[in-house]
Amino acid sequence: MFELKWLWKNLEGDRTRYILALCLSVVGSSLMIVNPYIGQRIVDTFIANDNAVQNLTDQRGLLIMLCLGMIGFSLLRTGLAYLTTMQYERSSQNVLYRVRVYLYNKIQEQDMNYYDHNRTGDLMTKMTGDLDMVRHSMAWIIKTIIESLTIFLAAVIYFFTIDVELTLWLLILSPPIFVVAYIFAKRVRPMYVDLRERLSQLNTTTQENISGNRVVKAFAREDFEVEKFTDKNVNYSKANKTAALVWLDYFPYLETLAQAFNVILLLVGGLFVMNGRITFGEFAAFSALIWAISNPMRNIGIIINDIQKFFASLTKIIEVYYARPGIVNEHKMQDKQRYNGSIEFDHVSFKYGNVEVLHDVSFKVNPGETVAIMGSTGSGKTTLVNLIPRFYDVSQGRVLVDGNDVRQLELDELRGNIGVATQDVLLFSDTIDGNIAYGEPDLPEEETIEYAQLAAAHDFITKMPEGYDTIVGERGVGLSGGQKQRIALARAMAVKRPILILDDTTSAVDLETEEHIQKSLRELEYPCTKIIIAQRVSTTAEADRILILDEGRLIEEGTHAELLAKRGYYYEVFMLQNEGIERQVTDHGKE
Amino acid sequence: MARNKFDIDENLESPFDIKHFRRAMIYIKKQKKPMIIAFILSAISAAVSLSAPLIMQHVIDVTIPAKAVGPLVGWSALMLVTIVVSVYLATIRSRMMTVVGQDIIFDIRTDLFKHLQQLPFKYYDDRPQGKILIRVVNYVNSVSDVLSNGIINFILEIVNLIFIAAFMFAVDVQLSFVILAGLPVFLGVMLMIKTRQRRAWQAVSNKSSNVNAYLQESISGIRVTQIFSREERNEGIFTRLATNFRTEWMRALRYNALIPFTVDNLATIVAALIYLVGLLALSPADITFGVIIAMGSYAGRFWQPILNLSQLYNNFINAVAYLERIFETLDEPVTVSDVPDAKKLPSIQGRVTFDDVTFAYDPGNNILENLSFDIKPGESVALVGPTGAGKTTVVNLVSRFYNITGGKILIDGHDISQVTLNSLRSQMGIMLQDSFIFSGTILDNIRYGKLDATEEEVIAAAKTVCADEFIREFEHGYLTEVNERGSKLSQGQRQLISFARTLLADPRILILDEATSSIDAKTERLLQQGLNELLKGRTSFIIAHRLSTVRNCDRIMYVSDKGIAESGSHDELIVRRGLYYRLYTAQKMEA
Repeated sequence: MFELKWLWKNLEGDRTRYILALCLSVVGSSLMIVNPYIGQRIVDTFIANDNAVQNLTDQRGLLIMLCLGMIGFSLLRTGLAYLTTMQYERSSQNVLYRVRVYLYNKIQEQDMNYYDHNRTGDLMTKMTGDLDMVRHSMAWIIKTIIESLTIFLAAVIYFFTIDVELTLWLLILSPPIFVVAYIFAKRVRPMYVDLRERLSQLNTTTQENISGNRVVKAFAREDFEVEKFTDKNVNYSKANKTAALVWLDYFPYLETLAQAFNVILLLVGGLFVMNGRITFGEFAAFSALIWAISNPMRNIGIIINDIQKFFASLTKIIEVYYARPGIVNEHKMQDKQRYNGSIEFDHVSFKYGNVEVLHDVSFKVNPGETVAIMGSTGSGKTTLVNLIPRFYDVSQGRVLVDGNDVRQLELDELRGNIGVATQDVLLFSDTIDGNIAYGEPDLPEEETIEYAQLAAAHDFITKMPEGYDTIVGERGVGLSGGQKQRIALARAMAVKRPILILDDTTSAVDLETEEHIQKSLRELEYPCTKIIIAQRVSTTAEADRILILDEGRLIEEGTHAELLAKRGYYYEVFMLQNEGIERQVTDHGKE
Repeated sequence: MARNKFDIDENLESPFDIKHFRRAMIYIKKQKKPMIIAFILSAISAAVSLSAPLIMQHVIDVTIPAKAVGPLVGWSALMLVTIVVSVYLATIRSRMMTVVGQDIIFDIRTDLFKHLQQLPFKYYDDRPQGKILIRVVNYVNSVSDVLSNGIINFILEIVNLIFIAAFMFAVDVQLSFVILAGLPVFLGVMLMIKTRQRRAWQAVSNKSSNVNAYLQESISGIRVTQIFSREERNEGIFTRLATNFRTEWMRALRYNALIPFTVDNLATIVAALIYLVGLLALSPADITFGVIIAMGSYAGRFWQPILNLSQLYNNFINAVAYLERIFETLDEPVTVSDVPDAKKLPSIQGRVTFDDVTFAYDPGNNILENLSFDIKPGESVALVGPTGAGKTTVVNLVSRFYNITGGKILIDGHDISQVTLNSLRSQMGIMLQDSFIFSGTILDNIRYGKLDATEEEVIAAAKTVCADEFIREFEHGYLTEVNERGSKLSQGQRQLISFARTLLADPRILILDEATSSIDAKTERLLQQGLNELLKGRTSFIIAHRLSTVRNCDRIMYVSDKGIAESGSHDELIVRRGLYYRLYTAQKMEA
């Protein structure tokens, strides 16, 4: 069975412990029969016996021994039970831990394509509720199955030694119980799949509401959000009720059948006693232990129920567990080389889904060169730079770094040679210091400050109450757009990589600050190829070369002066941005 | 700035007291009727099932010795009937309680979510989003059973206990005290571990919250992680968080497992004592054998409900750790809310007046001081100035995202702190720096600005902001599914979509906060034409660094040094040759 194999696989390291726990379960469950037996002996010998008074004086020692034995066995059994519980918990926690970390790494290594298709809320559901079902399966489901089975078998064997026919009469009830349980399992399974899906939707809606709380407030859409949420909440609640009510459709049959063991014992056992087939004592023995076969049968329904829940969750977990990213990072432990930083696009085309976003783009960047990329919204600028660190793979052509196809390079090494400041600035809920040193966690403090200064961030950071130790909110909330961009810039520079990609990193900073940043970039103390996406001519003007993208095609290439002379797209943008400025300045100059 | 990050435990300020429980009662009270009925059904069901042992007893004592086959069949049939009846009643009870349990958590979750909608930005800025999410979804799920079945079972077990105690004392007082002797020991153990157990479960909830927070951030920041090759280090952090969780769980479980261990042993010890005391210490004259047998079985029956109660107690302690977090969130003060007799802001013209406004995020650290200005209806105002000077703060105050520390803000002469937030914000269109996209279609995302907008209206808005063209290029056009992080949309396209969303709202006051920073100059130019039409008759605040956007505004305010340093039209400010002039000429380009 696949599910069991999977659990077994993830139990590695705790297999001995788990098997020990299972064995302890068997022993502990068997011991449950001992104390009732001792109690019976006391009653038989000292109370219900014809010579009870005699025995009480003659065998006082035995009585004390039996009582002490009872306490001793109880201590032993509960001690074992405690130990067993802890072993189950320890191994199930270890499995939880192992799978959780494994999944975390799986999630980390997925490529962008995966993230385009999977919602955060859904991944969160897998990592919380679904994972907990895995723990539950180890800590409770399997344990309960083993214990129920042990008690059941122990009782059946014991009963067989007393009277085979009566035992067989009792066992008549087991097949119908199994049949009902089987039908129930079949019916409830899709309900848990559905429930699981709705939980995921609830999670997604809530998570997006939290992430988008500013937009919600800006549009005063609180009521709408509550409505949206309530819809998911109702769905989830309904699905929960439906699944539980299906269980309650079958529960009466299972429960009645399980309790009917008593009825069969009473009827058949009673007849057997009357016939003289069995003695009163034997009948009493059956009666004392009848719970040992009816209780496990009662548990079947609950076990089946939880197994179905577990299956539904496991299916979801396995989606991540066995997900193979299109772009695999093997994390080879080889020595990482430092590249020279040349980049070449060789007839590169890229398709996003069915839409071709880049068409036959070719260009070359020499080590140390600064290349600016400009183009209209959606022209493919970000897509283009995303191909360099292999966030996506090209559909056609090649991207070469230092003359090697990026697909042939070790991914850690490739990315370890590139510093990127992304357009959508993502900061982490950590100190500013921790955010700047994100790519280089051991960065000494002076360098953190140095790069913050280069990114024109030092001044505003020191103005904050706790300076570099200020914790910024997730995604940098609480900081202005320009402040976030500058921290991201410092973060990208601080890793000192031979290739630096700045994706519209200064769009939200004012011009004075931008000039400072330009200067810093020019004077960076390590050799570095720079690819800068920008909308402002003031940013692009200083580049060694400017590339103009339009609808995924490279339409212009050259220096600032060359492109202006060309009177094409770049010239137009230049004129747009400077329109009026010169004229007005000169106008006022005349005054 | 944020107060919490993924690896900081959230300390709970108030200890759990009866107040919290009373608060939970509010939700439970709503379900009073079904709960009482369920309780009565359970009691009847339990009473009916008590008759089974009596039937068994009678059959053994009377029917079998008499070899009466007819009555044996009759008694068996009766027993079957009692089983069917008690199971049937129990099923009805479970059906009712399933609904009750789900309804209770539905209510709690709804209240929690509604409350979250009212909490200010600061609440969200202060902590990782994962910590909020886990409360709404996972924590609430955890308390369902305790608040529904848990309470009923608790009462049932207590009633059960009282009944058994009464029977017990009726049979023999002396031996009853022997049975009760275990109670102080049990209570002693509970008292000893009580605080530690509670703390342990609080720690578990804290650690799981930390794991969740880090997980969510890892997912949203995945691109940054991959580009900086931080996977290994993140794994280390995640491993540490997962380890902490495991450690705390095991600690809490140790206490939990201690309780059944204690109860089980005490039950056995008192049972053994009954035999010892009954048979050895008391003279046969005082006590009959029948009494000893009866008391022996009462010992077991008395301690069974205590065992059940202690399990319920364990669940309760566990749930409390989550409940107090939920209530803590519900208690989070709503700092920006409608005043008690807030009026609806009537349809406005769009006059905005700042009257001596002072503002600080943290007391004592003023961002704005004594700011006064008056904007006429329909006037367009550009806010310029260095990053972090407070431009965004000014516009955030207009929409009352924060309460001001001193002074007054008036719209059309109405103090905005005296009108309802909804009537205020729904007349404004705010386009934030962070253009959040909800998962759903592009159509839905634009429609967020006006929920009942027709498709034509949506398309018209998209056309105005030059988004129509690129949207139509997608395979599914306006019905293209987009999501929070996906790279289907470029940053500029996201801005255009959120721009369309804002326009669709048809606001009287329009606030554009770096709305076009990621949009290329040519598109912006096209945008401007449509926009100029739209700005007519609307008051607008525009924050932009690109001066080509700024210069057409009626008034330009240079924000710096906690106030407005310069204010006037473009031409006026150029003549003044001050800060704005410097900023402006910096953009002058040498061709």
